[in-house]
Amino acid sequence: MRILFVLFLFVLGCSSSVDEPIRYFKVETPRPFGYVNGDEISQRILFETRPGISLERASLPGKGPLNRWLNLNDIRVSQADDQHYQIDLRYQIFYAPLEVKALTLPSFELQLNQGEQRLSQTVPAWTFTLSPLRELVVRQTEQGEYMRPDSLPPLLNTRPALYGLLASVLIALALAVALAWQYGYLAFNGRRRLFKKALRTVSGISKSDMATGLQALHHCLNTLNGQPLFVHQLADFYQRHPHYQSLHAQWLWFFNYSNRFYFSPGMTVVSGDIQQLKTLCQLARSIERGSR
Amino acid sequence: MLRRLRHPLLWGALALSLSATLYQAAALYRVQHDNDLISQLTAGQAVDIGPIVTGPPELRLARAYYFKQKHRYDEALSTLSLIVGLGDPQFQALVRYNLGNLYLEQAVTASHEQHINTAAPLAGLAKQAYRQSLALDSSNWDAKYNLEVAMRLLPEMDVLIQAEDSNKNQKTQLWTTVPGFPRGLP
Repeated sequence: MRILFVLFLFVLGCSSSVDEPIRYFKVETPRPFGYVNGDEISQRILFETRPGISLERASLPGKGPLNRWLNLNDIRVSQADDQHYQIDLRYQIFYAPLEVKALTLPSFELQLNQGEQRLSQTVPAWTFTLSPLRELVVRQTEQGEYMRPDSLPPLLNTRPALYGLLASVLIALALAVALAWQYGYLAFNGRRRLFKKALRTVSGISKSDMATGLQALHHCLNTLNGQPLFVHQLADFYQRHPHYQSLHAQWLWFFNYSNRFYFSPGMTVVSGDIQQLKTLCQLARSIERGSR
Repeated sequence: MLRRLRHPLLWGALALSLSATLYQAAALYRVQHDNDLISQLTAGQAVDIGPIVTGPPELRLARAYYFKQKHRYDEALSTLSLIVGLGDPQFQALVRYNLGNLYLEQAVTASHEQHINTAAPLAGLAKQAYRQSLALDSSNWDAKYNLEVAMRLLPEMDVLIQAEDSNKNQKTQLWTTVPGFPRGLP
């Protein structure tokens, strides 16, 4: 019994399965029939090496013609980890058979490195059949040999220019709307047009129409404030409309002038007053449209 | 500060976008015009050479197409050779396919007229162009078919050349499985 056990261990020790450089090896190929001249054939090689063994990439076939009728168009090696390899090959056939013909993708050796040691694994040849595209007795046309016509030149793609045009038009429109809003040209944006209307009114007044000009400006301030605005409420007004604070001195003049105009008997309007009112209105308008 | 800059910025951006609109409109007009020229050329109508010389490769391909329809092979070849390396792979495959057709048509004509020495190199060039086309786009059935036409062209030449070279090179025997052209072709 002991002798048998020792013999078993000896046989196990001699077994090469433990020392195989590759644990798993598989070549995935497509259907082996139905190819024609100019077709591409993809082949995938999957394998797993033992730890410490790596693929010698220089041993892989290079891109280009492998023989008279076979080209290797692409070869890609990818690794999931140190042991798992995937090699994708893309061959192309240039062969014109007279009848269905069997051809073979040549085999090649994968070189593996284990330290200084060189190991190899054969990728087997793969046979497939190739069919002709033309009949043996070739038909003739008026021009002679039948052949496929030229490809029509493609029309230029108009989409990039069209999309570019649409985009630039939309941007220009958006900017135009933004500017119109700023200048108070939009009908729904009444608050942006208050001083614009007032300026139009004030521009046309004379000394006798001073009351109209003052009322126009009061109307603007009251509308902006949401209720009648008096001089002692200016601080609150500035909190809600801070841009108008830069005209504080002019507002004080306006309220004082208005007060005197309405409540001081014998008040005389001079042309300088009208000019000052116009200037105030213009400044308020520039603030209203955002340019100040 | 930002409030004061808002207006100049808006006006500047508006001016820029209006310039871009004009530029894009001009580009669209140019593309439409070039497409009109391409349509005219493919319909067999001659067009002024001026816009073609500086035009896009598609327009020059259309000009080569026009020349080939008119059997002006040399002009078609010189036009095509200028655009062989231009454009995306799909376009390059198309150019090479038409280039192959240009060579093959001349090879077929020469072979019918028994001008073997002219036909053989032309067919070889056609095969090369078709192979390059198929390497870029292997889904082009017309290129596959015409490559087979080129490969089967002038089968009697193989016999003649083999008879001359039978004692020179054993490799010639291997080539007899593919009807086509004698060895030494491009």
